[in-house]
Amino acid sequence: MTNTMGLARIRHLLRSSQVRLALGLVAVFVIVNFATLGFAWLQLLSKSEDQINLTLEQQVARLSETNDPGTFGALIETEAADVDPKQRVIVFNTPDGRSFGNARAEMRSGEVDLRARDASGELSDDGYSFRTKAMASGVLIVGESRSSISDLRETFVGLLSFAIFPTLLISLGAGVWMALVSARRVRHIESTLAQLTRGDLSARVPSADHNDDLSRIGAGINRMGASQEASMSALRQVSTDIAHDLKTPIQRIFVLLKNLRAGIAKGTPEADLADRALTETERAAAVFQSLLVIAQIEGGSAKSRFDAVDLRQIVSTFVDIYEPAAEEGGHRLTMDMLPQTPVIVCGDKTLLGQLTANLIENALRHTPAESSISLGLAFNPQEIVLRVADNGPGIPEGERDNVLRRLYRLERSRTTTGNGLGLSHALAIAELHEARLRLLDNSPGLCVEVALPRSAGDQQQSI
Amino acid sequence: MKVLVIEDDQTTADYIVKGLRQEGHIVDQVANGREALGQSMNAGYDALVVDRMLPGLDGLSLVKALRAAKVTTPAIFLTTVGGVDDRIEGLQSGGDDYLVKPFVFGELLARIQALARRPAAIIQESVLSADNLSMDPGRRKVTRAGREIDLLPREFALLEHLLRHKGRVQTRTMLLEALWDISFDPQTNVVETHISRLRAKIDKPFEKELIETVRGAGYRIND
Repeated sequence: MTNTMGLARIRHLLRSSQVRLALGLVAVFVIVNFATLGFAWLQLLSKSEDQINLTLEQQVARLSETNDPGTFGALIETEAADVDPKQRVIVFNTPDGRSFGNARAEMRSGEVDLRARDASGELSDDGYSFRTKAMASGVLIVGESRSSISDLRETFVGLLSFAIFPTLLISLGAGVWMALVSARRVRHIESTLAQLTRGDLSARVPSADHNDDLSRIGAGINRMGASQEASMSALRQVSTDIAHDLKTPIQRIFVLLKNLRAGIAKGTPEADLADRALTETERAAAVFQSLLVIAQIEGGSAKSRFDAVDLRQIVSTFVDIYEPAAEEGGHRLTMDMLPQTPVIVCGDKTLLGQLTANLIENALRHTPAESSISLGLAFNPQEIVLRVADNGPGIPEGERDNVLRRLYRLERSRTTTGNGLGLSHALAIAELHEARLRLLDNSPGLCVEVALPRSAGDQQQSI
Repeated sequence: MKVLVIEDDQTTADYIVKGLRQEGHIVDQVANGREALGQSMNAGYDALVVDRMLPGLDGLSLVKALRAAKVTTPAIFLTTVGGVDDRIEGLQSGGDDYLVKPFVFGELLARIQALARRPAAIIQESVLSADNLSMDPGRRKVTRAGREIDLLPREFALLEHLLRHKGRVQTRTMLLEALWDISFDPQTNVVETHISRLRAKIDKPFEKELIETVRGAGYRIND
C-alpha cells in the first residue's frame, strides 16, 4: 500500500516540469563533463605515447653496435644490469639462441612474448611498448613500461569518481528538492484553481516570499479570484437590492388591493378578481421573500451562531407537525426507527428545521395521493445523514442538478403549488452547514440525502 | 391602547393606522427614525410598530437606543427579508417580535395585543377551563361536559396554548412559534389540519364550538 503510494508519488513527481528540467540539466552537465574529460584524456594519452616512443628511439640509438653477437650480448647484459625491468626491459637474442638482458623476450608471429628472467626480475603489470631492431646478427628488443599511461588513467578515473559523481548526486538531489518545493507550490495553485472552479471564490494561493514565475502566477490567480468574488458579490448585492426594493411596492399593492377588496360586496365577480389579485401578490412576495432569505443564508452570518443541534428531535418534531397535513392530502408520512440518544450536529436549529420542512413539503407536493414519505437518520464514520424518501415519480437522473437551481421546475410540476425555490433553499442551508445534499433514486421515487459532517469529537455510534 | 407606528411608506402606514383606529386604539405615526426616537421616549406608548428601514435612524438602532435609555415599551419590527438573521438581529437589538411584509392586518393586530398585555396575559392556573371544557395539564386530562377526551400530545399542547391565551387571537405563525419553535412560514396548511383534528375531538361531538376561526387572523377560544 505504502509502496504503491510511493511509486505513484514518484510517477507524479516525474510528470512535473521542474523534475524534468532538473533531470535534463543534470544530463547536459554529465555529457559536457564527459566530453571535456574525454578530450583531455585523449590529448594526454597521445602525449604520453609520444613520450614513450621517443624514449625507446633514444634507447635503441644509444646502444652502439658491435659485430660479434657475444660481445654485444655482454654489453647489453652490463647495460641492463642497472635497469629495473619494471621500468624498462632490454633484451638481446643471438642467432644461436642465447639471450642477454634484464628479461627474456621472443618474437612470436610479430608479437613480443616477454617473461621475467628470474624471480627477482619482476615485470610491470601495466604492459610495455616495444622497439625491436636487428643488430649484430641477432635481435635487440627494448621495452618501456606503460605505467605512466596507467597512472594517467587512474588520475582520470579519480577525476570522474571524485568530481563528476558527487556533483551529479548533489545536483540531482538539489534538482529533486527544488522540484518538490515547486511541486508543492504547483499543488497549491492547482487546488486553488479547483476550489475556484467549484465556486468557492474566496480560495487564494498562499503568498510566497520569492518573486518568481510561480508566485507571479499565484498572484495572478489571486487577482482573478478577487475580481470574480467582487463581481459575484456585486451581482448578488444587486439581486438582493432588487428583491428588497420590490418588496415595498408589493407591500403597497397588497395594501391597496386590501382596501379595494374591503369596498366590494362579497360574492361579486369584482370581489373574486380582487381576491385572485391578492393571492398572486402574496405569491410574488413569497418568491422575493425566499430569494432574499436564500441570499441571507449564503451570506453565511448564521455560521457564527452555530451550536449543538439534536437532529433526532428535529426529525420527530417535523414528522409530528406535518403528519396530519400529510394524511389530509392522502399521503403517509412515517419515521424510521430513530436512535435512543440525541444525534448532535453543529448547526442552526431553525435553519435545519427549515431544511427538513422544505424536504417534507417538496415530497408532499410532488407525489400523488397514496404515496409514502419516510424520514430517517443514517450514520457513517464521517457523517450523519438525514434522509427523506418517497415512492412517488422521482426525478429523472438528468434533471436532478437542474431542480436544485433557483426557480427551476420540472415540466410536470408547472401546475403544482410552490415557487421552485424549496430545494435551492434546502441546498443553501446544507451548504452553509458544509453538508452534501444529494438527490438519489429510491426506485421508485426520490430520496434526498443531506450528509452533515459529524461535529468534532463526536463519538456517536450507529444503530 | 396607545400605539406609535414608525413607518416611512405612507401607503403601508395608512393601512396600519386605519386598521388600529378601527379597533379602537389611539395611534400616532412618524416617518423618520430620529423623530421617532424622541417621541417614543416621551409620550407613554403601549406598543411600537417599527419598520426596519427608516430615514434618519434605522429601526434596529432606534430600538437599541430606546433600550439603552431604559424604555421598555414592547416593539414589533416590520421587515422585508425575514430570514433567521433578521429575527436574531431584531431580538438582539431589544425588539420583542417581528413581522415580514407583506402581512395581513389581523396578524399584526394579534401580535400587538399579545405584546402589550404580555406579562399578565398568560393564564397560570393549574386547571384551565372554557365553557364546559376543563383541562388539567398536570394530570394530562381533558374533559368536556363530564366526558373525558383522549388527545394526542400535540393536540393537548395546542389546546393548552389556546386555553392559556383565552379570549385572544392566536395566529398560525404565533402557534407555530409557540408550539414547535418554528419561525418560518410553512407552505402547507399545517396549523389548519392540527386545528381541525383538535376540533374533531373537542368540538364536533358537542353542541357549541369552542375554537373560533377569526377571519384573516387566526384562532381563539372564548369563554
